[in-house]
Amino acid sequence: MSITTVKPWPKMTGRDEFRFLADLVLKRSSADQTVVNLYDQHSGTTRFASSRIIQNVDTRRGTLTVTVAFDGHRGSASTTDFSAGSVQDTLARAERIARVSPEDPEYLPPPDPQIFPTLQTSRPETAAAGPPRRLEYANEAIGQCRIENLEAAGIVSSSVASVGIAASNGLFAQEERTEARFSLTVQAEDATGWSAAAHRSIDHLRIQDRTLTAINKAKRSRDVQELPPGRYRVILEPAAVAGLWSWMLWTLDAKSYEKGTSPFADQLGRQILDERLTLQNLPGHPDLLGTGFTHEGLPSEDAVWIEKGVLKQLAYDRFTAKQQRIKRIATLEAPCLSASGPTALKTQELIKQCERAILVTNFWYIRTVNPTDLTLTGMTRDGTFLVEDGQITSAVRNFRFHESPLRVFRHVDACTEPAEAVTSETGKMLVPAVILRDFHFSSVTRF
Amino acid sequence: MTLSDRDEMAELALKRVRESGAEYGDIRLMQSMSQTISGEDRRIASVRDVADSGFGVRVLYHGGWGFAASSILSLEEVPRVADLAIEIAKGSASLASERARLVDEPIHRDRVVTANRIDPFTVPLDQKTMLLQDVMEYVQRQPEVVRSHASLWARGDKKLFVSTEGTRLEFDLLAVQGEFTATARHDGRFASRTFTTPHLRTGYELIESANFMAEAPRIASQAVEKVKAPAVRPGTYDLVLDPEHLSLTMHESCGHPSELDRALGYEANYAGTSFLTPEKRGSFQYGSSQVNLVADNTEPDTLAATGYDDDGVACQKWDIVREGVFVGYCTNREVASKIGEARSKGSNRADSWGSVPIVRIANIGLEPGQASLQDLLADVKRGIYIEGHGSYSIDQRRYNFQFGGDAFWLIENGKRTHMLRDVIYHGITPEFWNSCDGVADRRYRRRYGFITCGKGQPGQSGWMTHAASHARFRRAAVIKG
Repeated sequence: MSITTVKPWPKMTGRDEFRFLADLVLKRSSADQTVVNLYDQHSGTTRFASSRIIQNVDTRRGTLTVTVAFDGHRGSASTTDFSAGSVQDTLARAERIARVSPEDPEYLPPPDPQIFPTLQTSRPETAAAGPPRRLEYANEAIGQCRIENLEAAGIVSSSVASVGIAASNGLFAQEERTEARFSLTVQAEDATGWSAAAHRSIDHLRIQDRTLTAINKAKRSRDVQELPPGRYRVILEPAAVAGLWSWMLWTLDAKSYEKGTSPFADQLGRQILDERLTLQNLPGHPDLLGTGFTHEGLPSEDAVWIEKGVLKQLAYDRFTAKQQRIKRIATLEAPCLSASGPTALKTQELIKQCERAILVTNFWYIRTVNPTDLTLTGMTRDGTFLVEDGQITSAVRNFRFHESPLRVFRHVDACTEPAEAVTSETGKMLVPAVILRDFHFSSVTRF
Repeated sequence: MTLSDRDEMAELALKRVRESGAEYGDIRLMQSMSQTISGEDRRIASVRDVADSGFGVRVLYHGGWGFAASSILSLEEVPRVADLAIEIAKGSASLASERARLVDEPIHRDRVVTANRIDPFTVPLDQKTMLLQDVMEYVQRQPEVVRSHASLWARGDKKLFVSTEGTRLEFDLLAVQGEFTATARHDGRFASRTFTTPHLRTGYELIESANFMAEAPRIASQAVEKVKAPAVRPGTYDLVLDPEHLSLTMHESCGHPSELDRALGYEANYAGTSFLTPEKRGSFQYGSSQVNLVADNTEPDTLAATGYDDDGVACQKWDIVREGVFVGYCTNREVASKIGEARSKGSNRADSWGSVPIVRIANIGLEPGQASLQDLLADVKRGIYIEGHGSYSIDQRRYNFQFGGDAFWLIENGKRTHMLRDVIYHGITPEFWNSCDGVADRRYRRRYGFITCGKGQPGQSGWMTHAASHARFRRAAVIKG
């Protein structure tokens, strides 16, 4: 593939270029406060199915958003055209909107200039990876599956983004962020196995290992039996745990809490989960996708959200934080769930501990059923097995679950060390595999 | 940017594609504008105007696909992006175990414009924010309503599509939608009730005719009634479903399984495959004889009725399920050939200039029957009447589904009695549609659409409209949510 003969993409918007663009806005703005957000991304994905390339794309999209306020009257406009004329037109649009928008009683000026942590959010090997590297990885996964006479479907993607915020009060931050992803579904006739990875570095995707994992799951899923719905002891692999925990994290917002429309109502400072469980934000962790600052220009920080099962933090918007006299707003873009006490190294050790349990690789299409108690539903997917006497004895048909993580994580029988987890429906986390009891599977599907 | 500028860019890109020896190429140049006004708890929380412009070049070279796109709309950038798309296509072709092939489509030269009476972008902003504030203020004045949300959305797309085959299409499209929600709290619980207009390709007249303030008393009082209603007793119930609710049921359990790319495994790693595999076409009893599901991308005002899709194929109308039997798929020019069809159904769509088009659900609707809504209710001894959207989930082959709703009423001896809460029903798709024994007539037909249908990697949002009249389903399994 002779991509080198094609001229490279125009340079990403770096720190100096962003400062120049921001000044075009800030120096001309007539508003009381002005904020400029930058998101300039170059991304590509090679997608394959039935062991052949079905889609191969490379895209550059830059977006500049201007938000202004006059006396609490706010307006926002964005553009993908970074020419001086367009940037100034975007400012004019934002000002026009603000002048006729009603006053927002919750409006707050941008945060004061901050000191932001310097994190390794960008890896040169990912920024440099283009279509040839992605194609090479896709070919590697497809090739391994072909050797086993199995079909491969999946993606290899890589991206680099320049992200920035600048405000009229001197707030300024800019950083480059890279991300690489691999996910693979292996099909063995009617059976499937899956594995996925996401990392700042494309070198850490471990294509071969993860392909073998998906192949093994697909092969083990061939002999399937149907079990009745009911309450089962379950071993949830990290991706399945991440699926349930994502919904808990998304519903931690403080405004809903204060208005009594949160499943965590009145639980701040109280024991809500197993006392072994601790949830932290670790933006500097090399295997998480931490960032130096938020969209609003607040610094990312290490924070404990749930400590030994006790709820310690809520996700505050700046207005609610001011109302509640919260000095520092905790962020949660790099979640790590861990357990105190003895833990197993791998899921395999949990399997050995179970006389009878259902092993779940992943959940799919998780949605809220009842927001009051955070009852969720969803399906098991791509590798659901019966464990008997410490080993996998067969695959089972996929179940639908009907369960609240707030109920089922009140007691964890056993767990592993935190491991990397990412699904098509969640961001990346570090979470353990766990054994839970009385997990409610409400129905069974046809495969 | 003038139209002649865009034509010059298109010609520049397609010249490179032709000279490369590729068998096919196209370019889409787009300038989109959207406005979203969001209100929360009586206040206008945000007003956002988004201008999004760019172009994407798609190339088929020796059976391998390549696509490159850029938001830098300039004469310098176009040949570079075209060259990149060509080289990417060559890379795909080098690994191709099977060549992608496109079925024929006549050459089209046309211009498509959304008919509208009031351009939503010319309506004064303060008129729109006042409407949202008034409706939020009204619902929050009701005792026990503790929260409110309201929003208005509009988008305009100016697009030029040109292909190496000679098709040239100009589009000037609009879409509009609005909604509001009341949330009530009672006894430690909370529940919401939503009024929504459909998403349609019309002007702001859709919002004016919806009359939010006339609907507000009903929505607020039903939010309170809902949160105080008794929880459903799990069991077997007959269901009567309203058109808004059915739009989601059809979308998930009929729309997605009828996408041929899914049935062929293209989405195996993400959105999933389909139980409606090609050998079932023409014989599989998907539903009862009452069930006629028709794809119609020609119906005016609907989201997928854009004249042509992003393959440059003219929009069409065709059967998906005829008298209960599965007969047709949604296709594009690539996958149509894999089931021996000579022409694409025209269901290939991208959600922006930066996305490659993929097979999307068409405007699939349930054809009206003969009954009145009263007829459907009268023949129910113990059932539940459901309106609107709630919780929804379905497996990756579209067999096992579970749906909630926005509002529920107990039906006893043919009469709607009182509201229920926490109603969830689940089932297996063909068993469910085979239990359909009545569909209301054309008077009850309503259209609802989606603009957030997730599919593809990288993820894209699909747009389509689903029309239905009320329908009745027997002996559904109901649990408490």
